[in-house]
Amino acid sequence: MSPEYSVSLRRKIDEVAARYPKKGAALLPVLHLVQRETGCIASEEERFVAQVLGLRRIRVREVVTFYTMFLRRPVGKYHLQVCSNLSCSLLGAGPVLDYLQQKLGVGVGETTADGRFTLSTVECLGACEQAPCLMVNFDYHGQLDRKKVDQILESLE
Amino acid sequence: MPKILIDDRVVEAAEGLTLLRAAESAGIPIPYFCYHPAFAPEGSCRMCLVEIEGLPKLELACSTMVKEGLKVRTMSPPVVEARKGVLEFLLAEHPLDCPICDKAGECKLQDYFEEYGFFRSQFKEAKEKREKKFKLGRNLILDRERCILCTRCVRFLNEITKTEDAGILNRGIHSEVGIFESEFIDNNYSGNLAQICPVGAITDSDFRFKTRVWFLESKESVCPLCSRGCNITIDSHPGHPRTLRTRRVYRVRARQNPDVNSHWICDYGRYGYAYLDEGREDRLVWNKGGQETRLSWDEAAQILTEKIRSLVHLRKNSRIGIVLHTNLTNEELFLADRIFRKGLGVERFFLADPPPGKGDEFLLTADRTANRRGLQEVGLSVQAPEPKALSGLDLLLIFGHYLAAGISPAGLKDALEKVETKALFASHKSGLDGLVDFVIPVPVIAEKNGTVTNIDGRVQPFLAGLDFDGDGLPEWRALLDLAKELKVDHKYFWPLSSQEAVYRALQKEIPFFK
Amino acid sequence: MDEKVLTQHFGVEGLFRIDVYRGQGGYGAVETALKQMTPAAVLDEVKRANLRGRGGAGFPAGVKWGFVPQNVPKPRYLCVNADEGEPGTFKDRYLMNHNPHLLLEGIIIASYAVGIHAAFIYVRGEYEAVSLRLEGAIAEAYRNGYLGKNILGMGFDLDVVVHRGAGAYICGEETALLESLEGKRGHPRLKPPFPASVGLFQCPTVINNVETLSNIPFIVQNGADWFIKKGLPKDGGTRIFGVSGMVKRPGIYELPLGTKLRTIIFDHAGGMKDGKQLKAVIPGGMSAPILTADEIDLPMDFDSLAGAGSMLGSAAVIVIDRDTSILDVLKAVAKFYSHESCGQCTPCRIGTAWINKIVKRLARGEGELDDIDAIIRLASNIKGKTLCPLGDAAALPILSICQKFRRELEGHIPHA
Repeated sequence: MSPEYSVSLRRKIDEVAARYPKKGAALLPVLHLVQRETGCIASEEERFVAQVLGLRRIRVREVVTFYTMFLRRPVGKYHLQVCSNLSCSLLGAGPVLDYLQQKLGVGVGETTADGRFTLSTVECLGACEQAPCLMVNFDYHGQLDRKKVDQILESLE
Repeated sequence: MPKILIDDRVVEAAEGLTLLRAAESAGIPIPYFCYHPAFAPEGSCRMCLVEIEGLPKLELACSTMVKEGLKVRTMSPPVVEARKGVLEFLLAEHPLDCPICDKAGECKLQDYFEEYGFFRSQFKEAKEKREKKFKLGRNLILDRERCILCTRCVRFLNEITKTEDAGILNRGIHSEVGIFESEFIDNNYSGNLAQICPVGAITDSDFRFKTRVWFLESKESVCPLCSRGCNITIDSHPGHPRTLRTRRVYRVRARQNPDVNSHWICDYGRYGYAYLDEGREDRLVWNKGGQETRLSWDEAAQILTEKIRSLVHLRKNSRIGIVLHTNLTNEELFLADRIFRKGLGVERFFLADPPPGKGDEFLLTADRTANRRGLQEVGLSVQAPEPKALSGLDLLLIFGHYLAAGISPAGLKDALEKVETKALFASHKSGLDGLVDFVIPVPVIAEKNGTVTNIDGRVQPFLAGLDFDGDGLPEWRALLDLAKELKVDHKYFWPLSSQEAVYRALQKEIPFFK
Repeated sequence: MDEKVLTQHFGVEGLFRIDVYRGQGGYGAVETALKQMTPAAVLDEVKRANLRGRGGAGFPAGVKWGFVPQNVPKPRYLCVNADEGEPGTFKDRYLMNHNPHLLLEGIIIASYAVGIHAAFIYVRGEYEAVSLRLEGAIAEAYRNGYLGKNILGMGFDLDVVVHRGAGAYICGEETALLESLEGKRGHPRLKPPFPASVGLFQCPTVINNVETLSNIPFIVQNGADWFIKKGLPKDGGTRIFGVSGMVKRPGIYELPLGTKLRTIIFDHAGGMKDGKQLKAVIPGGMSAPILTADEIDLPMDFDSLAGAGSMLGSAAVIVIDRDTSILDVLKAVAKFYSHESCGQCTPCRIGTAWINKIVKRLARGEGELDDIDAIIRLASNIKGKTLCPLGDAAALPILSICQKFRRELEGHIPHA
């Protein structure tokens, strides 16, 4: 039974695909749109996108598995992505990550039991002047210390 | 033509050629993994890096174009170092599988290591663990630990079959060849993937663990299973004092021919080699009054020629019939025509062939015989073997075991019972064996010399790639012997004593074959 | 000569809105270019200005534009490289967030000069806020007749599309960017052919960095000579330096090319944080070979840094203090390139992973005497031998760290 995708999603996909000389070129933006609606790109979504854009399914999977932002498995409501690159490491990303693991009770790559938080590490987010940084879904938070981390977690329902 | 220097040798190479091709044409080997002559250069294995005077970095031979005056070095210290580097990287993450890997003995990684490597491993880390028996295709197993990500397989499916069945998944060191879910490769050309894989990553389950390639003898031949005439190599086991040979032919591989099949053969041809060893006729017998006597060809030929001669003498040429098939070579069809039609005035020629199949848009033709075009060009007119027509004959020479197809067994039995003398020249056992007087085993195309004409009118010569072990003989020789015994056009046929001689005679007589 | 160019209006509230932007003189350059100059004249001015690419490679923009053939019957494309993945780099984020219309103006003029009618802005996937801001600016530009058909009534058409990436540093490499824009994996292409002749969808394509294009309106309005005076004779203009790491005031600093590195760190960025001592500096993003504390009296321009064995790259200055173990720096570097390797070519795919494994083993205290030499050997086998520059981007920093801080690294090897 294939899942239903909303009319507005399909409409947006058509809109985006029309901006490119070849429909298939819209694959990355379309995957972003689908992931926003479904939370992750499982094989059902791959089939859907392949069909809508006239691509072979393997081509879709090649792309989904290449780019780190496309998730093959669902994540928690809040995806906490801690930068582990150089500037952030210099300014304490390690302790921030440790603190998060301890506070949430999960390891890197894991989701809390209540499904609210998934903890990941990522490479440079392009916000090094605010190191150490993390991204909650797409929101950037910088100059992290324990206090700031607590504040962020509290603000997330 | 631009002239370049490769290792101080002057090489003339056509404009638009790559350094790799130019070097190859001059007999200078440059190693490569990802390059394949059928595809555009990929440039990812980095094994073909060579030194070009005046350029700061090493350049890829597979994608650098020939330009007048280039000075190329293929064995200088930086090149030697670079090749060692690539080998070292590949071997670092490569499993030590040689003792259990089918590719051993024909593996580029082994060959290049021996030629350009020969260093001790300095890799102390844990190798990436990957799936070793992934079902990639109907007959294909992928070992991801062995895969060097040359992407030849992916490119073949993109560019040749255009079926896009496979791709590269993940990124970096975790990259792997993959398919979508379980949609494994299932087209008529999948076997080529095991052949073009430079290492033992993609192996053929048909060949898996059956033998070592160094026990096999490779002989060139032409595939007779359709009228494309793809060039093949037959790998057979000649027998070895210390190993038990369970079969003769172990596999068939594609052989390159840019005018016929490029670098490929279809799976129907690749995996359909069982006929070479199974169900073969091997004893020449005479069924006389319910008793089976083993004869030599000379003995059988004598009896047959007596019968033929007596019919001709009684002006009963119209009571002689010949059943032909289009797996006979050009020479054999020519001889049948010249000896029996021209020489003896035989009128009844029948055609009984294996049934057609479905052709694809690439190599496989609907016609499943090797030489239909040859029959057309020899110009022999044939009719369908209807039981009524057959039953009216006194002597029937049946070539091939295909007569049973298309006629009901009862109808065939009845018809043949009415024919006084029946001789069967067949390579394989069939229901016909019990219905004829003489059963004469003959070789298949792989076991004789000859020429066949493919669907495009290309005449392809071939030499025997396997020994013919049966009691009988090639059809062309049988026909020549009969001609000599019957003294048909003595001056013409007596001097013909080899297949080449027959072909030369054929060429003289029929302009198409010149 | 400290007048800012690119960031001069950053303090103006609402600069990202077209009415505010125009109030500061915005889109005047588009008027000048389209109404008073021929495309060839614009191209010449940009060439004369010696504007070198601000993405990392430093290739002269005008020269690149000139490579695009005008007589090929195929559409031409402009791709804006807003992938900003080079660790330490965040300047383009500032530019696009604060002044998206400046970038659009640069895009319009560049497209006019080269005869391009479709431009794609490839923004890294993580910059969602930036994409939204860009899309807002683009919508405003369309509504005000700066994009779309018959711009300013001058018969010039241009469409701009924002295309988001999805987390792959390699897509900052121009040919990998093209592949990604075509909906594929970010696998760099063999060069030649170069994108100027065979680029997006096999058509002639120009790829320029955000900061590079943001300079174009100023060159058109003020001329090439003015631009050169802002920088150096061979490298016109200012650079936006991004300073991060152990400094008091990390952030962006727009300064003339040729400003000393010491000045950037100790004057503009306030010097070392928390009383720390300087140990090392990475001057141009992680792909730039490391400099020791005694090497910072360097003018920050392309040639001086190249001469010192490093590179200006993305002008991202990462300041490392003496309390930081150089092994941790090496760990971050090795991990990054191994993670970001696209996997196409042998030396990078396997070499970066192998080096990463050795470095991790070193960090676990399981290093052996020959490990540093092994890393150097492997990095040397990557350098110059890969399909794309990521190989060198990995190898050169790693080599520089091993060479300049060998003693300290060996200190982590038991029995050394």
